[in-house]
Amino acid sequence: MITHLSAAPQTPERVVLLGAHGFIGAALRRLLDNRQIPNLALTSADLDISEVSAAEKLAALLRPGDAAVMLAALTPDKGRDIAALMKNLTMMQNVCAAIGKVGSAHFVYFSSDAVYSASDALVTEETPPSPPDLYGAMHHTREIMARGLSKVPVLVLRPTLIYGLDDTHNSYGPNRFRRAAQKDGRITLFGGGEETRDHIHVDDVAALTLRCLLHRSTGTLNAVTGTSHSFHRVAEIVARQFKTTVEIVKTPRANPVTHRHYAITAAIKAFPDIRFTGLEEGVARVHREMLGKR
Amino acid sequence: MRVGFAGMTHLGVNSAAAALARGFEVVGYDPDRDAIAGLQRSEPNIVEPGLPEVLQQHAGQARFTVDIADLSACDLVYIASDVPTDDAGASDLSGIRKLIDAVSAVLGQHAMLVVLCQVPPGFTRALALPRERLFYQVETLVFGQAVERAMHPERIILGCADPAATRPRALEEFLSAFACPILPMRYESAELAKIAINCCLVSSLSVANTLAELCESLGAAWSEIVPALRLDRRIGQHAYLAPGLGIAGGNLERDLATVCRFADEHGTDAGVVRAWMANSRHRRDWALNELHARVLSKLKDPVIAVLGLAYKQDTRSTKNSPSLALLAQLGLFRVRVFDPVVPASEAAHPRCHAATSELDACEGADALAIMTPWAQFGRLDPSQIARRLRGRLLLDPYAVLKASACRAAGLDYRTLGLRAGT
Repeated sequence: MITHLSAAPQTPERVVLLGAHGFIGAALRRLLDNRQIPNLALTSADLDISEVSAAEKLAALLRPGDAAVMLAALTPDKGRDIAALMKNLTMMQNVCAAIGKVGSAHFVYFSSDAVYSASDALVTEETPPSPPDLYGAMHHTREIMARGLSKVPVLVLRPTLIYGLDDTHNSYGPNRFRRAAQKDGRITLFGGGEETRDHIHVDDVAALTLRCLLHRSTGTLNAVTGTSHSFHRVAEIVARQFKTTVEIVKTPRANPVTHRHYAITAAIKAFPDIRFTGLEEGVARVHREMLGKR
Repeated sequence: MRVGFAGMTHLGVNSAAAALARGFEVVGYDPDRDAIAGLQRSEPNIVEPGLPEVLQQHAGQARFTVDIADLSACDLVYIASDVPTDDAGASDLSGIRKLIDAVSAVLGQHAMLVVLCQVPPGFTRALALPRERLFYQVETLVFGQAVERAMHPERIILGCADPAATRPRALEEFLSAFACPILPMRYESAELAKIAINCCLVSSLSVANTLAELCESLGAAWSEIVPALRLDRRIGQHAYLAPGLGIAGGNLERDLATVCRFADEHGTDAGVVRAWMANSRHRRDWALNELHARVLSKLKDPVIAVLGLAYKQDTRSTKNSPSLALLAQLGLFRVRVFDPVVPASEAAHPRCHAATSELDACEGADALAIMTPWAQFGRLDPSQIARRLRGRLLLDPYAVLKASACRAAGLDYRTLGLRAGT
């Protein structure tokens, strides 16, 4: 559930992206550039926010009128251990210190749906977080740290599985399926791919974020489409994009089947005309982009 | 015998009407001059089927007054004002306490005082009044059927200081006139009985809503399942099994909030009650989600027709109305609204056309949502609706229209508990 501090859309003075080099950050930066919205895109090469002096350096870069978007995190593919957790928390500690010092106009924290329990099959923003691992616990802790910024309006976005051409994580789903189909002509599923999940295109995440920036939205919002598909269905959609036959391989099931659906009523209430790219359309678009890049 | 009713809101007026119909002299008190003037003309400011007729028919037995001293001549006085609630369902009891104090000051020396309002367990015993003259009676009125239920209660649940004691003559004479079982019990039991009844109703509603939603995915039809449940003696003919857009009206919400509050205070489990509340919130947005998926996310500047503003049929109450909740989310879009009783202005919508009729509301709209099951909406001709609409989507959560007739008229008919197109 989110609240708009600006009922009518208003362009922020400047958007500062922390973690601009990542998959979502790059998409958001493209969108801001297309809309000619002033932005400062910071990557880890520009400023390592895990460093001791990062808070001061960042505070020197920020202005009170800025909307800061925190995307930087060590993702599970870069470590799921305690060291990764502590480094992620240090990064957030520095960011919160800088934003609190400058008093930014708006702070958007990119969390994750990893804060929810894996056993929650129908999730809304009211579903209590119950992270099953350190990665989820890290995002949940960072959310609490962000909300502790008493003088800064804070929005927490919790994206679900994101797909798009430039994804670097290669997690199980459209991205990995596409690469596997292209490389091996085969998509391998866990079990029969019965689990249902929500997959959102990265451009939709960027567009949703922009809407929130324009309205200075506060609160918590899941960045999801509201439509879930089984991984088997996702594999079929991906396979259909190829001219050659792509084999879909089932494997013995190691873990019980779990499902995840989202009710997107909060997003509809916040943005009644919002539209998400359907999975077939999105996968086809990514495939065309992939062919165009060759 | 003369019976007084203090507080001429929905509860008081309908209860007074039932007493009149049972042949008693009635004094109805309220400080609201407009409300009393209307009652003196047999024109109550609330909508209930049959109410004006009962008041008119028995006008000679009734005295409606703004002078609280007129209650001093009554043998029995009911505290019968509705108790307001906030958005979280919490009761504001301050008005009732003031009313009880004021009535107590003028109550006859031997007269009985009966609390009829929606109060939490412990309220009646805490009142500083002589116990042998103090009672609590459970009201089980239903908006839209209030007169009928007040006149013909299934039973009377009476909270007493001593359930085994002989009841005072005046009270016994009055209650006996309703010719139904009288169940005396301690105050707290009676107060909790009222909440227990509403919890059972919400439980049934939650079952209906949960399984109706599943029907929409599985291809089952909830309307086909309901008769099977009604013929089960453990469930019954009158069970609340119609799926709806969540709990509304204020009274059920109040009792659920009260259970949660007491459970939290005493460390008992109210998880199931909170689940009912969550399910209610979930289903309330059915129409918004359907409109978004099929119209709002697809068309530029769509027009939405909405029939009904009241929270249910045969009432003008809009407390927690699903229709108003929907309209509150449609502020960006043009809407055309009609309700037979509630003016469109109550929607407080920035782009609202106050339609003069159901079909006027449909004119040029991209979708129609029938948000209150007024009987007159069920008499609409689907082909006329289809002719007036620009789009095809018809949301009829309460199934006031026939699905087959709507589909035959070319409409994309959607209702609760039924998969679209089946």
